[in-house]
Amino acid sequence: MKRHPLFVMLGSMVLVLLISLSLGQQAINLFSPDPLQMKILFELRMPRVVVALLMGASLGVAGAVLQGVFRNPLADPYILGTSSGAALAAAFGLLASDGSAFWLVPSLAFAGAVLTSGVVVALGRDAWGVRAERLLLAGVGIGFFLSAILMLVMSLAQADGVKRALLWMAGDLAGADWSLVPLAAILMVVGFLLAICRRRGLNALALGDEVAFGLGLEPGRERIILVLAASLLTAASVALGGIVGFVGLMVPHGVRAFVGADARRVLPLSAVGGGMLLCLADTVGRSILPPIEIPAGVVTALIGAPCFLFMLRRSSAGSMK
Amino acid sequence: MSGLKFEDVGFSYGIIPCIKGFSCSFAAGEMAGLIGANGSGKSTLLRLGTGLLSPQTGVVKLEGQPVRALRGKERAALLGYLPQSIDVPLPFRVGELVEMGRTAARREHLLSCQELLSSVGLDGYEQTPLSNISGGERRRAFIAMILAQGGKTLLLDEPLAGLDLRYQYELLALLRELCRNHGLTIFLSLHELLLARNLDRLLVIREGQLLADGSPALILTEKLIRQTFDLDPLFQIPNMIV
Repeated sequence: MKRHPLFVMLGSMVLVLLISLSLGQQAINLFSPDPLQMKILFELRMPRVVVALLMGASLGVAGAVLQGVFRNPLADPYILGTSSGAALAAAFGLLASDGSAFWLVPSLAFAGAVLTSGVVVALGRDAWGVRAERLLLAGVGIGFFLSAILMLVMSLAQADGVKRALLWMAGDLAGADWSLVPLAAILMVVGFLLAICRRRGLNALALGDEVAFGLGLEPGRERIILVLAASLLTAASVALGGIVGFVGLMVPHGVRAFVGADARRVLPLSAVGGGMLLCLADTVGRSILPPIEIPAGVVTALIGAPCFLFMLRRSSAGSMK
Repeated sequence: MSGLKFEDVGFSYGIIPCIKGFSCSFAAGEMAGLIGANGSGKSTLLRLGTGLLSPQTGVVKLEGQPVRALRGKERAALLGYLPQSIDVPLPFRVGELVEMGRTAARREHLLSCQELLSSVGLDGYEQTPLSNISGGERRRAFIAMILAQGGKTLLLDEPLAGLDLRYQYELLALLRELCRNHGLTIFLSLHELLLARNLDRLLVIREGQLLADGSPALILTEKLIRQTFDLDPLFQIPNMIV
């Protein structure tokens, strides 16, 4: 009997969740926890696991969307400069506050992400509408510019604030709590539904604007809606736990290797795959060298890059047959 | 008559005129070729035909209505368009491509994926990634996609480009069969004068203007070919073309 990939991945995710909840600086038996362990589970691990799932899912879907919109397998949620905008705004928050206003940094990150996307889309337009290459170049240019300002700000700042800003940029989920989960979940669901509703446009844009037009779509309008969806998803992820690389790049590629490139299957599976990967990365990061915690973003890059290169090699070997 | 009609169409890129006063209509089931030098306006004319570009003078009509006035879905269900460049950066499968065409079709014109693949000679390729098939087969897969849209008019921009002689011949034979079996009207641009002889009708454009229109026997003359491509008088045109 053929198993549906979504059920296989959901089954694997349940397994990852159980592993993630039980492992950490202290191993917990989920079936008979003592009161202290219950406290650890509900107040520390559960929000962290939920944050990792939401962030990973958002990044996976955003990556799948942007790779199709830009017809570029190397596109990821940060290519539009969204991450740089979010990180810069977040760094201002980290350096200016003493940490008492928990909502300040994520809110600034979200505002920075949305503002940057708006500027990039405005710069990506010409007389013909929003063009993929123009948008991509605008994103890269704005990203470099904002990163340079971020470096300048950090080089002028005090040591403590810089360390917190660095952790933010490395995708550290240690500070995850429930406070931002509802807002980020709403953003994520809206972004995801927007992308799912435009799945036909996403498939067609990947074949080029002229083919998309021939199929009865308006490429410029589809691109704006899909970039908006990807920005919402990236902003939700950055607001929740900072910058995590590689998930958005790698997960859609892995999914496509198994189920083809149809957005109808790739989008939901990238959400499940991304959530699972980040959850696993965070578990490894907090369990492998206790009491030191390695940020999840560092782990995804460390395990993601070799996996990605292996996949690349395997797929190029396959295409040469 | 087929549904597509150009009426005194003019178009400029900025201030540079590209198409000037172009008029023509097509018979149902006709396979017409568009020939002309590089930059003569062939692709622009096909883009005007599909509604991608808006004429500055005149009008392009599809089933009696200006093509630009049709809603995207209505237009896609009447007319299939294949541009010159069809590179696919993501690993789509042949069946997924055909499915994209099917979603643009009217319910009453819906054909199954198997039927469509069979009509372009790609039986059993549904799950095959596009990256694993030859250039000729990929072109066929895209033709199955626009065929799936269910329209009676196909506009193809240099569908033979980049294929070897065998694949070119096979693709033309396939298009001829589709014209016959599905009652399609096909308007395609091409540079392959050797194969242009197999079409029902040829239209020649030079600097955006219709230079000649008629059967291949009338069009493929040494004088007209020299004029169309501005050939050097010393250049010998092979006998098999003229």
